[in-house]
Amino acid sequence: MPDLRIDATVNGRAISRPAKPWQRLLDFLRDDLNLTGNKEGCGAGECGTCSVFLDGVLVKSCLVPVAKAQNARVETIESLGRAGALSVLQRAFHKAGASQCGYCIPGMVMAGTAALRANPLAGREEIRERLGGNICRCTGYQKILDAVELTRDVGNGTLPESALAEEEPADGRFIGANVRRLDAPSKVSGALKYAADMTMPGMLHVQVLRSPHPHARIVSIDTAGAQAMPGVAGVVMADDVPGIDGFGVFVNDQPVLARGKVRYVGDAIVAVAAEDELTARRALDHVTVVYDPLPAVFDPREAMRPGAPVIHDDAPDNITKHIPIRVGDVESGFARSDLIVTQTYSTQAIEHAYLEPEAGLGYVDPDGVVTIISPSQNITHHRHMLARILALPINRVRFIMSPVGGGFGGKEDMIYQGILALLAIKTGRPVRYVFTREESIIATAKRHPSRTTLKMGLTRDGRICAVEFRMISDGGAYGLSTEGVMRKAAILGAGPYNIANLRMDTYGVYTNNTPSGAFRSFGALQTQFATESHLDICAEKLGLDPFAIRRVNAMRDGAVTHTKQTLGSVSLMRALAAAEEAARWEAGPPSSRGATRHDLGGAGNRAPCTLGARFAAAEHAAQPEKVA
Amino acid sequence: MLYCDAYLTPRSLADAFTAMAEYRGRYRLVAGATDTLPWARAGRAGDVAIPALIDVSAIPELRERRVDATRVRIGAATPMQRFLDDGDLARAMPVMARCAVWFADDQIRAAATVGGNLVNASPAADATPPLLAHDAQVELACAREGKITRRRMALGDFVRGPGKTALEADEILLAIECAALPGYGAEFEKVGHRRSLVIATVCLAAVVRLDAAHAIADLRLAVGGVGPVPCRLHESENFLRGGAATLARLEEAAHMTVGLVQSRTRHDYRRDVLHGFVVRGLASALRRAGGASPPVGELEASHA
Ligand SMILES: Cc1cc2nc3c(=O)[nH]c(=O)nc-3n(C[C@H](O)[C@H](O)[C@H](O)COP(=O)(O)OP(=O)(O)OC[C@H]3O[C@@H](n4cnc5c(N)ncnc54)[C@H](O)[C@@H]3O)c2cc1C
Ligand code: FES
Ligand code: FES
Repeated sequence: MPDLRIDATVNGRAISRPAKPWQRLLDFLRDDLNLTGNKEGCGAGECGTCSVFLDGVLVKSCLVPVAKAQNARVETIESLGRAGALSVLQRAFHKAGASQCGYCIPGMVMAGTAALRANPLAGREEIRERLGGNICRCTGYQKILDAVELTRDVGNGTLPESALAEEEPADGRFIGANVRRLDAPSKVSGALKYAADMTMPGMLHVQVLRSPHPHARIVSIDTAGAQAMPGVAGVVMADDVPGIDGFGVFVNDQPVLARGKVRYVGDAIVAVAAEDELTARRALDHVTVVYDPLPAVFDPREAMRPGAPVIHDDAPDNITKHIPIRVGDVESGFARSDLIVTQTYSTQAIEHAYLEPEAGLGYVDPDGVVTIISPSQNITHHRHMLARILALPINRVRFIMSPVGGGFGGKEDMIYQGILALLAIKTGRPVRYVFTREESIIATAKRHPSRTTLKMGLTRDGRICAVEFRMISDGGAYGLSTEGVMRKAAILGAGPYNIANLRMDTYGVYTNNTPSGAFRSFGALQTQFATESHLDICAEKLGLDPFAIRRVNAMRDGAVTHTKQTLGSVSLMRALAAAEEAARWEAGPPSSRGATRHDLGGAGNRAPCTLGARFAAAEHAAQPEKVA
Repeated sequence: MLYCDAYLTPRSLADAFTAMAEYRGRYRLVAGATDTLPWARAGRAGDVAIPALIDVSAIPELRERRVDATRVRIGAATPMQRFLDDGDLARAMPVMARCAVWFADDQIRAAATVGGNLVNASPAADATPPLLAHDAQVELACAREGKITRRRMALGDFVRGPGKTALEADEILLAIECAALPGYGAEFEKVGHRRSLVIATVCLAAVVRLDAAHAIADLRLAVGGVGPVPCRLHESENFLRGGAATLARLEEAAHMTVGLVQSRTRHDYRRDVLHGFVVRGLASALRRAGGASPPVGELEASHA
């Protein structure tokens, strides 16, 4: 069947060109027309990074078969403005600080534009509703909504155009002033190129075969079928690694491609570079891997038991890292306590869900320097590791950090850059690998799921006498940042409280689950969740106010932490006061309820999630104006 | 990803049937494609290769829209957003407008069709309960022995189970016909994990008309998400019809729904939600029908 021919008007220009019948409008715009301002955050209609106008109506172009653009008028983010000639809404985004990583921002700008086109007087609730299909993971929605409201107000004359201008810091000082981001124009206009937006002449496309088994020995890998396919330029697996194979933030326990066995569902085994993505995907169907399934372990407590399946030979007890901290004498502390409370707290794995799925390019430059472009949060460390893996001197390996479309710790690991290097070397051509959202979720690190058992002894007036704290974390199949996460969990987990007697143990444990890694707060979240929940429970049992129990134990300026760090200043008392005031806390134990319920509505309550602001606006507009 | 060798966009019903005959057993129909494209991804069907995709959304019969004082006829390829943006349609089908605002988001609604929602037959499909409340009929067409024939059935008979309908392999869902309900007060209630872009855990459609004495002259209630197929709440309807709209009676009508929840997961939660939705949904619908109804805020406080 012949290709389609698409005749359309794109950003005001007539185009007529062939397209594949299965292409989505998003592919056609990004790959064929090089309009990369709109992004693919999910490919499933969920995120809105791909929003474009089709005949004036905003649609998610990842769900639009390209044939639907026939004879249509298409407008992408590139049509709205460019640096130096931004639209009012784009300038408002710049002014309001509504662009952090920027990956969602082109879609947000499109949705904001659509909202004000639909109703130039839309109120905040209606704007919120009309932007409901677009997700942002880092700016937060307030500034984005502020920007749309600012545009509305400038548009209808309630605010002067000067409201869009940068405010000069009053005293010429920038620290503490509200300074505009230098990179915002490139983000609000869609001009900024993230790795998946970049192309190179002669570039090949990479796809990766991943393990369907949580734990299995690889008996054999046959890539002959894939190698023989027209359009396939190179196939690599563990044998292609020339140097010392292994990477990781603390221990180098993860091979570039599975070596001898697979350790989780999603472990990379074979990578293919081909002339186009479809050929690379099809080539994976022609790779045969024979597995010998091994017993797998999914619960870290089971993994710690003697006789559990061993995941890495050099860690026969499956312990990735144990951090023990001992302060004072816990037993005597408990003996002096009026109340001892023991509880177990658990937290689950969490996906970072940065809007930019992993992507990167690799090439060997004319001087023979292996070069990787990727949104890596740790390029210097990656460079050192890759040099060893490739058995190259450090000056023959180069990392270029592309704009990071959200990381939150999730892009600290070098999980695909090695694959890019091997394929660039093997094929002698530039290669690009772009993860799908599903691949990103399957293959990359999560926040450590944890289980914490906390025993606390207190006096009647709420003073902590002793704490015994044992946290077991599921590190998954590879070490990644587990060691650091266990350290931070132990250092920060007991909270900003003076605890004279402390026994703290945090364990990161190998299992056959998806690896865990760095994630905002780096272990402190899990342990502090336990500590803070526990304090509330203890306050209730002692009949104390939860703020009071924290104040009794609070570290003050000059306090020495349980890892012997002296703190010059401690803001805890101020933070507690601010939280107490903001919450309009009514003093009393957590189980008491004040005379009036403030949690059902009124100031400080977010109204329940509902939709239909536009109906209210329409009803309001339909009311005849009262004539005085 | 969904791969195809041919993407066909027939401009007439006859062309569509020709294409369907040519690719018999080797095609898939699409309208808005908002169910089909996400289906062909990792974790669901994975990569799917299909010889032909036949896009029915440009067929004039599927884009029809006829509205008069008593009846509505809409083509199956009517995008959900149209129920919000088309004033006549919104007045004739007030509960569809309320439903549409909860359906996916503005952008997906511009593509997602009402026919696709019915044929996809998810137990939580949002458009089904409101259309059941409208006593909708569906019209199906096929071409056999060179002749296009049509048949009709009640929507309640068309949707047979999760993903199952009465549609035959060679049929197209042509249009939906139903009673126009102008002047009815309407509400659509929905809860899921978030506000936009969410599949309903429970959804409910309520439409009410009051008589001159402010008694309930007509009401229709339908629910989705609590069983294999969306359904009407006849027992509650019969109990309330003809009577006064007091809070006590709404509560009593809501109690009648407890046995209806058949879903295997989150059973108790769904029961509580359904109860709350019946009371709150009717209260809002009554208010919009011009009645005095207990204010929603008070209702919520009374349950706190
Ligand atoms: C992010 C997202 C959010 C969503 N939110 C919601 C929501 O809130 N509520 C909800 O109910 N659904 C939701 N959906 C699901 C989907 O959008 C709807 O079910 C939509 O109505 C499907 O219509 P379509 O035209 O896009 O379907 P398509 O994908 O084109 O078709 C769906 C099925 O129907 C068949 N079909 C379509 N038209 C016909 C016809 N005329 N005759 C015969 N067969 C036909 C197709 O062959 C296919 O099997 C959501 C989907 C996404 C991606
Ligand atoms: S909605 Fe299209 S890429 Fe996410
Ligand atoms: S700025 Fe919105 S996702 Fe990063």
